[in-house]
Amino acid sequence: MKRLQDMIETLSIPVFATLLGLLVGSIFVWLAGVQPLQTYTSLFCEGFGPTGCDSLTDLIVVDITDEDTGETTYHFAPTYGEKGHPLGLALERATPLILAALSATVAFKAGMFSIGMDGQFALGALVAAFLGYWLPQQIYGLAGVVDPDEASEALQLVMRLSIPAIIISLAAAAGAFYSWIAGYLKVKLNVNELISTIILNAIAVQFVTFMLNGPLRADMNNVARTERIDDTAWLMPFNRAFLNDVDWFNGARLGIGIFIALVAAILLWVYIWRTTSGYEQRMTQGSSLFARFGGIPTDRAIIRAMLISGALSGIAGAIQILGVERRMVDGFVLSGTGFDGVLVAVLARESVVAIFFVAVLYSGLQLGAINLQFGNIPRQLGGMIIALIILFTSMEDYFRSLITRFRLRVFGVDQIVNDDDNSDGTEEVQHA
Amino acid sequence: MTTAIEMRNIRKYFASSSTLALDQVNFEVQPGEVHALVGENGAGKTTLMNVLYGLVSPDEGEILVQGKPVQISHPDHAIQQGIGMVHQHFKLVPSFTIAENIMLGVEPNQFGVLNSSTEAEAVRKLAADYGLPVDPNKRIQDVSVGIQQRVEILKSLQRDARVLILDEPTAVLTPQEVRELYVVIRRLAESGRSVILITHKLLEVKEVADRLTVMRRGKVVGTDDVANVSVRDIANMMVGRQVILTVPRTPAEPGETVLEVENLLVADNKGLPAVMGASLQLRKGEILGIAGISGNGQTELVEAIAGTRPIDGGDVRLLGESLVGKTVRQRRDVGMAHIPEDRMTSGLNMTTTLDENVVVTSYDREPYSKGGYLQFDAIRQLAQQIAKTFHIKSAAAGGNVRTLSGGNLQKIVLGRELEGDPALIIANQPTRGVDVGSIEFVHKTLVDVRDHGAAILLISVELDEILALSDRVAVMYEGRIVATLDMDEVNEEKLGLLMAGSSLPQDDALAYEEMN
Repeated sequence: MKRLQDMIETLSIPVFATLLGLLVGSIFVWLAGVQPLQTYTSLFCEGFGPTGCDSLTDLIVVDITDEDTGETTYHFAPTYGEKGHPLGLALERATPLILAALSATVAFKAGMFSIGMDGQFALGALVAAFLGYWLPQQIYGLAGVVDPDEASEALQLVMRLSIPAIIISLAAAAGAFYSWIAGYLKVKLNVNELISTIILNAIAVQFVTFMLNGPLRADMNNVARTERIDDTAWLMPFNRAFLNDVDWFNGARLGIGIFIALVAAILLWVYIWRTTSGYEQRMTQGSSLFARFGGIPTDRAIIRAMLISGALSGIAGAIQILGVERRMVDGFVLSGTGFDGVLVAVLARESVVAIFFVAVLYSGLQLGAINLQFGNIPRQLGGMIIALIILFTSMEDYFRSLITRFRLRVFGVDQIVNDDDNSDGTEEVQHA
Repeated sequence: MTTAIEMRNIRKYFASSSTLALDQVNFEVQPGEVHALVGENGAGKTTLMNVLYGLVSPDEGEILVQGKPVQISHPDHAIQQGIGMVHQHFKLVPSFTIAENIMLGVEPNQFGVLNSSTEAEAVRKLAADYGLPVDPNKRIQDVSVGIQQRVEILKSLQRDARVLILDEPTAVLTPQEVRELYVVIRRLAESGRSVILITHKLLEVKEVADRLTVMRRGKVVGTDDVANVSVRDIANMMVGRQVILTVPRTPAEPGETVLEVENLLVADNKGLPAVMGASLQLRKGEILGIAGISGNGQTELVEAIAGTRPIDGGDVRLLGESLVGKTVRQRRDVGMAHIPEDRMTSGLNMTTTLDENVVVTSYDREPYSKGGYLQFDAIRQLAQQIAKTFHIKSAAAGGNVRTLSGGNLQKIVLGRELEGDPALIIANQPTRGVDVGSIEFVHKTLVDVRDHGAAILLISVELDEILALSDRVAVMYEGRIVATLDMDEVNEEKLGLLMAGSSLPQDDALAYEEMN
């Protein structure tokens, strides 16, 4: 009974917060001279709805009228994929977001409020952008292949299988090293990780921008960019490889990356909740004094968490380059993916499972917001609505106390006290 | 005669901890009386006074001052109604002088310009009026805790408090300072003011209060004249059952030396020396009590032995093995156990379960983990076994330990630390904030393990506890062990003087000289 009540309370708060965010957002929408309902319909349809979605019910069931026969058919919206499904795009956007959010979570779970994901993401991406082009070249050179197209199929296959793995590992190493700096500074010199990671982010962005405009610049294109990565380094999207005849994936560069994210999430969950190392870092988060007094090597736990965190962000960067962008273009480092990952982690309350839902929701809303502008609605409104929802979600404690106060008023103190009968204050056990 | 304060049917529910902190509480104070408000920790004494002082708003009930109903929703209102409160932790500005602190917010000024000499003069007059001598020009950071408390009282009197709430006023004082405080309290009552004394020390109640109100679990158990009840009656009212106040114990039979501390040097958090050449020896089967006023290096001494603070010089040997440079885990492996001072932050992880709390000292060993993976069944068994042996209410199986009472929490720490028969047990404030029933249990357990051959280093700011448990007492003052006494040469007076470092606290002596 009590548990059910708790669950309802916990679930109702984010829903309530979202509705409140939309409600307050509608004031701004209205001020901008647009119909709020119309705006929200477009926001959700563009983010999550299938082709032809033009009302909120279309998010669940969509009706399609055949122009030739005039016949209307009904489809379950999330699986209806003609001309591609926005969810595919949302998942494509969500992939690096999930990894960045996992990266933030593992750091948070050691009591480190690291927000260095942006910098680690940028470095991982840089490593991938460079190696994705350079490494295959070297191998071709060694193998004596002049034109890559004429390389033997066996060589191609080996390269396709090994090169992405090698590049992702090295990008992970780069991210891990960068994150380690903040962990080391914290452990040895007690430098606040929030400050050190902000600074490290700024350094990484400058460094990557310099590399992009300097040594790694491919051509005189007016926006600086690196060479396109070799096909053997490419993590091919589903619609270009084995699922090329499935409509649902059309237009989305969603690929193997989402599986990598899924595997990373499962491994991370096991690590945090099932291993002794995870226990060490969770206790460090709960109370670092408790951990130290109990004999847990807290410094090691922190460093380990930071290494894993950095590696995950590095992988996120590499996947974005190898699977989606295929080259790094100036402005890539300013995408803010890493920071969005921090937001997702916070909204998901550090739950590995919740990160998936929050990341997809967040990506969908972003997508919807971008597409709003095609319907004459300023896209900034979309961003603002997302921000409002986040703001209201972060007011969880306030909502909780509101609920309690409401219950107190409606049911009276006695009722509540009986409901919440807790273990405290009961008779002490008698002992001889 | 109208009552000074009357609180009727006060109720307060805390949603965050889902506890009914105050349940239909009725409380009244007459003018000119010293009214003791007693009860175990968590009984609701402080919450009730916070309601009166406007720090907590009640869900139901009303407050009457001088017979008139009033709304008190902010300390400013309370002060307007003539209610003053001296908190356990003083709210003074260390770098300001005594006069500046007392007149803070009501400074005498001319066209907005402060006049410090008038200020000092006003304070001098105030102090003389109430017979509470202070030197107005001294800075708070330079005077003793006793004087700081006096400044807090003067601050309330300056704002014309008719009712003065003192929250655990003697907790930080030496026995001599306590006696002076009692005189002050009596004098205030004689002048027609009411003093509400929040305390859990029963002897204090007998000594200074006229009437008392006992609270238990958010309810008032009874109000009576102090003359009508014995200390035993009060204790039984507080706990709700018969309590054994003294610890039954036989003389110690000490064996070989377990712990040796030699010329230990330790720095505090600011890097200043906190322990300056402390030496002590602890033998198997005895309890060595460390007495001292908080802040004389006890915390640093303990942390240096326990391994959470670096040793800057000297040596610590446990069973002949030097602990210098060893990690906490290595020290625990030699045979150390540690009951930390603050169970909420150091003793337990309040964000997790009983299971994860008890396994912290052994999580990386079989059977609690295998191949780097935790073995939850084995951990569960350990937790249940400890819960059973130590009578821990484990309604929170799988749930958070946060909802457990202070006594139960301390039993978890005790159970975990005593697991595996350690040779040395460092017990730092083992009963702080624990109810009387659990104090009894903790004390009995400590004596038990001593009888089974453990060496116990007991650190406590409660002199009563030191006297009740120790076989020998070491007094710590300004980072040194100034004396080690056998129990038969110890009395409270002697300890009090040693704890204060000299025959009389210096600040008081100076203040008296300047007044006369």
